[in-house]
Amino acid sequence: MIEIRALIKAYGDIQALRGVDLRVSAGELCVVLGPSGAGKSTLLRCVNRLTEPTSGEVLVAGQPGPRTRAELRDLRRHIGMIFQDHNLVPRLSVLKNVLTGRLATMPAIAAALQVFPRVDIDIALDALRRVDLAGRASDRADRLSGGQQQRVGIARALAQQPQVILADEPVASLDPKTARVVLDDLRRAAHELGIAVLCNLHQVEYASEFADRIVGICDGRVVFEGMPEQLHAAALTRIYPGLDADISRAAEGARAEQEAAV
Amino acid sequence: MSRFRLLLGGAWTMSRGLKWLAMLAAAAAVLVWSAMGIGLSVAELLRGLPWIWDLVSRMLPPNWTFLGRLVRPVIETVQIALWGTLLSVLLALPLCFLAARNLSPSLAVFHLTRQALNALRGINEIIFALIFVAAVGLGPFAGVLALSIHGAGMLGKFFAEAVEEIDAGPVEALRATGTRPALVAVFAVLPQVIPSWIASTLYRFEVNLRAATILGMIGAGGIGFELVSSLKLFQYQDTATCVLVILAMVMTADYLSSRLRARILAA
Repeated sequence: MIEIRALIKAYGDIQALRGVDLRVSAGELCVVLGPSGAGKSTLLRCVNRLTEPTSGEVLVAGQPGPRTRAELRDLRRHIGMIFQDHNLVPRLSVLKNVLTGRLATMPAIAAALQVFPRVDIDIALDALRRVDLAGRASDRADRLSGGQQQRVGIARALAQQPQVILADEPVASLDPKTARVVLDDLRRAAHELGIAVLCNLHQVEYASEFADRIVGICDGRVVFEGMPEQLHAAALTRIYPGLDADISRAAEGARAEQEAAV
Repeated sequence: MSRFRLLLGGAWTMSRGLKWLAMLAAAAAVLVWSAMGIGLSVAELLRGLPWIWDLVSRMLPPNWTFLGRLVRPVIETVQIALWGTLLSVLLALPLCFLAARNLSPSLAVFHLTRQALNALRGINEIIFALIFVAAVGLGPFAGVLALSIHGAGMLGKFFAEAVEEIDAGPVEALRATGTRPALVAVFAVLPQVIPSWIASTLYRFEVNLRAATILGMIGAGGIGFELVSSLKLFQYQDTATCVLVILAMVMTADYLSSRLRARILAA
């Protein structure tokens, strides 16, 4: 569904991505791990062109990069995005926030006058049901807790009925319990709806627990690719160079513990 | 050991002290020079006191029967302020997006609009009123036009600053869904700026009401005309009534608008 070939992104002299190849299939939750500044965000943002790649190819559903503004909007229509700080509009209701995921397909003038097609409202309510927040539809978004707001963010992405979801550190500001709920929502979106989900994380244990496949990025390059069970200490030191051996052992210990618990 | 000690910012050296002395001397020189220019004189003021008292005593008591003549001018003053504010909002709305650094289509457009707004704001509404009286004739409509043009410069700047202060996150999130820019403005920008825009507009109405009370002095409508006529006819008791009515209008508007603004900004 997503196919990235020889992707390079340079900011002046600084190379954020130095030739990345990556594929994500429909229905797969692919987690990208890597230290801060490794290029994880840049990689995601190159997929929906919030960042314009310097060179290389990004194909979404076989389509190459957009050439016009209209093509760009059409590309983004099929790609949902989830942000670390959820980026909801605080003074709008939960339902309207989810409906913004469908604005691209609505008659513009009616929408501007706050008149929405019933089909779209039903799709939005259905998306809210998927994240278990249908009961909060008419509350103002800023009345919800951080975890609930992030799940409204997921509902907004789902309302786009996207082929791809990009999640940029979606649980970085959440407590562990809420983080698991959010990651579980994302995994179900991938498995039940057949969406290709590309998700940046910086917690190794969440990656091991939820990912179908893990890609490790360091210094703008892919340094690991494999199943969660293949993520051993050696791989971790490649992704996080300088990480003390005993810290990686601790991470592995935590993983073994989780496996034992499962 | 004294119980108090003078603390000034930073360490004091001889050269720093001299620099400060020089600056203080320069400031004093400018003030003395200005005082001479304007004929500032306590003696003049003291000599004038009896005359001021004479004027005040002639104003008292206010002529309450004059109130009946003021009903129409008061209503007209409020109408001028109302339409002056509304038209300046309509003019400011499209300009403020161009004058906001974060949403302006280009840096050139941003600077151009900002400078245009500065020019509108820089010229006093009375000067605009003089121009419009010459253009559309005596009467309240000239006053309305003056207030809307000057007010557009003010509100355009306030509105643009509100747009610059928004959280960029929701804007990016909506762009990322493929929503066209006009709808991004409606759904991600407007909800964030509306409270501040309404507060600025209410404040602008207060300012316009105060301005509308003097527009009449130059023939641009409102209660100012009655005020000036009574002065010219030496009817000082009528003047006193005008001044009290203006005071009551302005205080009522300030009170209502500050209460409304507090409620809107708290929501």
